[in-house]
Amino acid sequence: MAALGARRLLRPGRRWFSETVPGAPSPPAGSLYPPVVASITAKSKAAKLRRLQRFNERVHAAATVEEKLRLYGKLQRPKYMVYPQTFALNADRWYRSFTKTVLVPGMPPRAAPAKPPVAAAGATPETSRAPEPSAEAPAAAEASGAAKTPEPSAGAAAYPDIGELRSLVCDALLQESFYQNKKRPFLYRDQDHTPGPFLTQLVSTLAASLSGRNPLLAASSLDLNPEVNYYWHHGKEVVVHGHRKGRVDPVRFQIDDNPHLQIRVPKQLPEVVPLESDLGDVPVIDHKPSKLPLFKKQYENKVFIGSKVADPCCYGHTQFHLLPDKLKRERFIRERLEDQIEVVYRSNGIASLFAWTAAQAMYQGFWNEADVTRPFVSQAVVTDGKYFAFFCYQLNTLALTAETIKDNPRKNICWGTDSKPLYDVVEDGNVKGFNDEVLLQLVHFLLNRPKEL
Amino acid sequence: VFPGVRQAQWLTKTKLVEGLPPAVQSIVDNPALGLQELEERAKHMVSHARLWDTAEVAPRRERYCPMLFENLIHICRLMSAKYPSLSKRMLARNCRIAATWERESILLQVRGLSGILMNSMTPIAPVASKEEILATKEHVLETFYPIAPTIDLQEVKVYKELNDTGQCFRDGYPYSQPHTLFFLESANVRTDRFRPEQLRAKMLMFAFGNALAKARALHGNDPKVLEQPVVVQSIGTDGQLFQFMVFQLNTTDLVSNDGVKNLVWIDSDQNLYERAQCVPEVKKRVVTKPAGISGFQPDTFKKFLALYLHGTV
Repeated sequence: MAALGARRLLRPGRRWFSETVPGAPSPPAGSLYPPVVASITAKSKAAKLRRLQRFNERVHAAATVEEKLRLYGKLQRPKYMVYPQTFALNADRWYRSFTKTVLVPGMPPRAAPAKPPVAAAGATPETSRAPEPSAEAPAAAEASGAAKTPEPSAGAAAYPDIGELRSLVCDALLQESFYQNKKRPFLYRDQDHTPGPFLTQLVSTLAASLSGRNPLLAASSLDLNPEVNYYWHHGKEVVVHGHRKGRVDPVRFQIDDNPHLQIRVPKQLPEVVPLESDLGDVPVIDHKPSKLPLFKKQYENKVFIGSKVADPCCYGHTQFHLLPDKLKRERFIRERLEDQIEVVYRSNGIASLFAWTAAQAMYQGFWNEADVTRPFVSQAVVTDGKYFAFFCYQLNTLALTAETIKDNPRKNICWGTDSKPLYDVVEDGNVKGFNDEVLLQLVHFLLNRPKEL
Repeated sequence: VFPGVRQAQWLTKTKLVEGLPPAVQSIVDNPALGLQELEERAKHMVSHARLWDTAEVAPRRERYCPMLFENLIHICRLMSAKYPSLSKRMLARNCRIAATWERESILLQVRGLSGILMNSMTPIAPVASKEEILATKEHVLETFYPIAPTIDLQEVKVYKELNDTGQCFRDGYPYSQPHTLFFLESANVRTDRFRPEQLRAKMLMFAFGNALAKARALHGNDPKVLEQPVVVQSIGTDGQLFQFMVFQLNTTDLVSNDGVKNLVWIDSDQNLYERAQCVPEVKKRVVTKPAGISGFQPDTFKKFLALYLHGTV
């Protein structure tokens, strides 16, 4: 910047003494005059482009990730607040269009670990993500294909003892709902009374007992009620009113999420499908985001995964979300919106996981001008205490702004299941109708780890 | 008025022993546990709770005290990979405890939310040998003449003598043995927090209450010397200072002042780290205190882990 000293534009036919500042970058050979570029401060489109370029260079040149994040979110303007847990109708379609995500029903393909070990397969880590044989195509109901083959002898050391894990889960459930004498739940706070503590107990005991099989869990960090934030731009709009009326601005979004629990690990989860795969279409919605309804507010642009950049556990493993009382199933059934029940789970999964994976990618130095070079994978379980839905998200691209999305063929992918009950009812110290499928899926999630481990 | 532990000792008919009991100390010194690698993780956990947990500059005590506790318990729970019987433990939050007893014709009662309780299926074996228990007969309880021992206690009319930890859990609960009580002093304002001495007294009273309720549930309500003493541990912290306590209930005969006494081992004021600096302190352009955790004491964490593992190792 200092190199561009005072100079004057050449008018054809006139010669002016050019004042070259010593130390200026040498112009390309054959031209005696410094490069002609747009102004920085003028009110013109070229000047705006130049300002954007300078901003991008500044962020690229930032020394540390904290500095990059600070510059990225420095300018505050009104932005849409995207809530992962929302009652808006068909919110998951909108969220998919904001985050350029493809939704694939069912769980990603991988080897069924509960198949009885065949001959040589004895001690192979069967939870490694080898592509499944084509006979079991990844269809929705077959997703937890592991559950089809009933656990034969659960005593083998190669895979976990489902009976023992089941008893742990039942103990946690019974303690929270039956054995411990608690006062009545506060008004509209049913979720904090029983399902919340149950989920905490469940995850902590399961993670502890499975840490022997998964060394990644043994090095993990468990956060209770963490904060996850992400800020991004997507699309363009014209400013409607105010002193900036008429200018073209990017549409800004911010997700501020509070999962109930999350597990962070020091090593990244392996990719599910290659970076450039195309598994479906991203919905295109022609309306403004405010029609969802989504509202704008201006406040700090935060990007946060749950702990600061200095933490060694900077990659995400699994999040657990608890749906609040406002979004319980009975309420939707009463208002005859049964199809929206699944939408709630899906929108929560997509939005939370997008925010988490994108924030993880930003912690590694990627942003929308420097797109990710490897996919970031994380998992989530969304539950209301009884019904569990599982999601797996692969972030392939961060480039969602209007300029960068033009030539970007990559899409983010989210695999998700429908919600299934873990048990039917708890009566008299017994859990009735326990569903092993859900437990198995949970165990797979917790046992997920990179191939080297 | 004067140190709370001495008063609590009189009220619960207890003899105090400084330091941790030899059984727990042997777990600390046991090299087979691999406590060295855990030091690194413990340091990370302290940094996480004190420095990295929040998007603001520094987390407040209400946030970092429970977070530190959860992190340390997480590391301890992960040890269940090596010791599978550790999975037979369950944490219960917000337990209400109620226990009543008579002490030289004064009726005393312990009631209230007793912090976080960890239950296990199997009881902890008695820590003191029979000779030590009998030796407490000679010990004379310190009296505070002319101050009445019930000074600073709230006098309340009791209409129902409530008596069990069964108040907290129903019958048939599989994790029936109280193992450890955790007390977190996490109020932001210093005057809302208990001072270390008062915290120790509170720990003693609640551990006694839990042990008494358990003993009465097991052996009935008659006051007598217990064949199988009941052991309850207790850990209290304010995020930096840790107080460790092991309480052994030898007798429920609390009316008289002589006879066998109960025993308590207290290891007090253990610092886990000296200082946690979120932002480096700079005086006259020179960094005097760099950011990070300084003065980390692995021994305190080892004691925490040893108390957790006690009973299964």
